[in-house]
Amino acid sequence: MDIKEILFKLSDAVSIGNITDASQIAFEELSKYAKTLQNGINVIGEIKGESDYTLMLEAHIDEVGFVVTDIDEDGFLTVKNCGGIDLRALPSRTVVIHGKEKVTGVFCATPPHLGGVKEYDDISVLKIDTLLGEKAKDIIAVGDLVTFNQKAVDLRGSRVTGKSLDNRAGVACLLLLAEKLSDKKLPFNVVFAFTDAEELGCRGAKTAAFSISPDEAIVLDVSFADAPDVPNNDCGKLSGGAMIGMSPILDKGISKTLISIAKENNMPYQTEVMGGRTGTNSDVISISKSGVKTGLVSIPLRNMHTDVEIIDIKDIESVCDLLFKCILKGGNA
Amino acid sequence: MIELLKQLCSLDGTSGDEGAARDFVISQIKDYCEYKVDNLGNIIAFKKGKNAPAKKVLIDAHLDEVGLIITHIENDGFLRFKIVGGIDTAALLCRRVKISGKIPGVIGCKPVHLCDGDERKKLPDADSLYIDIGVSSADEANTYVAVGDCAVMCSDFTVTGDKILTKALDDRVGCLVLIDLLKQDAEYDFYASFSVQEEVGLRGAGVVAFAVEPDAAIVIDGTTAADVAGVAAAKQVCRQGEGAVVSFMDGATSYDREYYNAALNSGIKAQSKCAVAGGNNAGAIHLSRGGVRTLALSVPCRYIHTAGSVCDMRDIITVRDLAKYMVDQIAGGKL
Repeated sequence: MDIKEILFKLSDAVSIGNITDASQIAFEELSKYAKTLQNGINVIGEIKGESDYTLMLEAHIDEVGFVVTDIDEDGFLTVKNCGGIDLRALPSRTVVIHGKEKVTGVFCATPPHLGGVKEYDDISVLKIDTLLGEKAKDIIAVGDLVTFNQKAVDLRGSRVTGKSLDNRAGVACLLLLAEKLSDKKLPFNVVFAFTDAEELGCRGAKTAAFSISPDEAIVLDVSFADAPDVPNNDCGKLSGGAMIGMSPILDKGISKTLISIAKENNMPYQTEVMGGRTGTNSDVISISKSGVKTGLVSIPLRNMHTDVEIIDIKDIESVCDLLFKCILKGGNA
Repeated sequence: MIELLKQLCSLDGTSGDEGAARDFVISQIKDYCEYKVDNLGNIIAFKKGKNAPAKKVLIDAHLDEVGLIITHIENDGFLRFKIVGGIDTAALLCRRVKISGKIPGVIGCKPVHLCDGDERKKLPDADSLYIDIGVSSADEANTYVAVGDCAVMCSDFTVTGDKILTKALDDRVGCLVLIDLLKQDAEYDFYASFSVQEEVGLRGAGVVAFAVEPDAAIVIDGTTAADVAGVAAAKQVCRQGEGAVVSFMDGATSYDREYYNAALNSGIKAQSKCAVAGGNNAGAIHLSRGGVRTLALSVPCRYIHTAGSVCDMRDIITVRDLAKYMVDQIAGGKL
C-alpha cells in the first residue's frame, strides 16, 4: 500500500452525515485484508486470531463541516457548523455545498467598514455566496451539508497538507496496519472500526463499541503539534512519532505497554498527558457496556479543524509500526 | 475570454514581483502592438489605429496583486512575513500560499480548541502570523526560500454560470480587458499600460503617465461590490450584473464629470460607484505633469483582495465595451 496515495484519496474525499465517500474508500481498502461490514458511515472489519480475545482498533472517519439552515432569495446560505471550527478563518474560504449537485461556494468576506463582520462569535452572520443567485433554491435545500474544498498536497520532506487529515491520517494508518497484519498469525481477534460523527460527540464509536463488544480498545486519532502560537504544554512535536495518551480515563497498562514497546524498538514516541476526558472516542469506548480497557495513540497534526491541516507521513508509518509490534507481541492481553 | 482570464489569475504577481504576469501579458500582446518595458517594469504599449487621434488616450490596468513578502526565517523553519498591499487578517488565517511561484506553504493558526473565548472572537495581530512550508530548521528553510521572496494566496478557478471565483481578479480583469482591446483593430491610436505596484501606492502608473504624457486616461480596475447578504443597500457600493462601474469620486480622485456623464449615458450597461472610498491608478495618473482628464471604469468584485474573490463575466464584457466606446469618443475628439 502506498500510504501517501491512500491518505490523499481519503483526505480529498468527504464523509459527513449522509455523505460516505471517504468511508466507501476505506471500506473497499479494508475489505482486501479483513472481513468487513458497513453500517452507514461506520466501517467495521475483522481479522480473526487464535483466541476469543478481541482488540478493537478505532479511528473516526467523519470530518468537520457545516449544515445549511437557510437560503435567501439571492442565493446566500446561512449555516451551522458541525464540529468545532474557527469562525475567524472562514471569510473568503471556498467550500463545497452538497446539494442536488456539488456547488462551489465561498464565505462572504465583506470589509468591516461596509457592514462585514467585526466580531466572530456567531456563525449565522457569516453567509456563504453560492454564486447561483436565485437559482440556488433549485439545487440546494436546508439540511444539505457543506465541507471544505481542498486537495491534499506535499509540503517539504514527508510533510503534507490537506483537509480532514483529522482523522483520515488515523484511518490511513489503520489500513496500512490491516495490510501488515493480514498475512500474520494473530494472538487474538483484531477488529477495525472507522466511525461516524466523532466531531458531533463521539456518536459512531458508541454504537460501534456496543456492536463489537471488545475486550480491549486502542483509539487512533490526531492531536495538537507544535507551532509558534501553540503553548508547549498543550502539544506534541510534529515528526516526533506516536503521541501515547496518558489520562485517568485511559488504561494505564495499555499506555505502559505501548511505551515499553517503543523503547525496546528505539521507536520515536512522545507522551500526551491529559487530566481527564481526552476529547476523543476513547472517552466513550472505555465506558461501553460493562467497560473496556482503552488506550489512545495520536498522530501529531498542525492547524486542526482547518483545510490546511499538516501531518508528517513518517509519523503515520511509525504509529503503524508501534501498533503492529504491540499486537504481534500479544498486546496488553 | 474565460480561458485567458484563468491563465492571468493563475499567475503570481505580488507588487514588485510582477515578472511572471508581465511575461505572460507580453506573450499575448506582442503581435498586435508596439510595446516597451520601462525601468520599473511597467509595460507601455502603443496600438496603431486606423486614424490619428484628436487626443492622446492612455488606458491602464495594473499587473500586480496583493501578496506577502518573507521578512524573517525562524530557527525552527517558520517564515515571518509582511503583507504587501491591503489584506484583511481573516483572509490570511489558515490559508494555503505559494512562495516564489513554486514552494507551497500554509499560514498556520492556533487550533480553535486551544483558544479561549475572547481569542476566538477577535482576529490575531497580523504580525503574529507565520508560514509553514514543512521544514523544521532555518537551514532547511534556507534551501527553499530567502527573505525578500514573495508569496501569494492559492486558489482554484471556479466558473458558475457567469460568476468567476478565484484570486487576483483585482486587477487581472483589467489586464484581460486591455489585452482584448489591443488584439482588436482600433479606430484611433491609443496607449495601454500594464502597470506595476498599484497595491503599494499607485507607483507604477505615475511614471507611466509621465512618460506617455496623455491628454486623457481611462483606468480599468476591480472595485468592491458589497451586494451580499447582510449589507444594507446604501453600503453596497455597486452590484454585480449591473454593468461597468463608473466613478465620480473615490479616496484618491475627483473624476472628470464630462467623461463620467458620457460613460453613464453611452447606452452600454453602467452604474455609478456609490461610495467615496478606495482608490486606483487614477489617483496617480490624473495628477501627472499638469493634470490628466481621467475616467475610471471598474468591474464589481466581491471579496476583493482575498483568494476567494468573485466577478461576473457580464460585467467584464461591459467594461471592455464601454472602454472601447470611451477611447473612440475621446480620441475621436467628441469629448
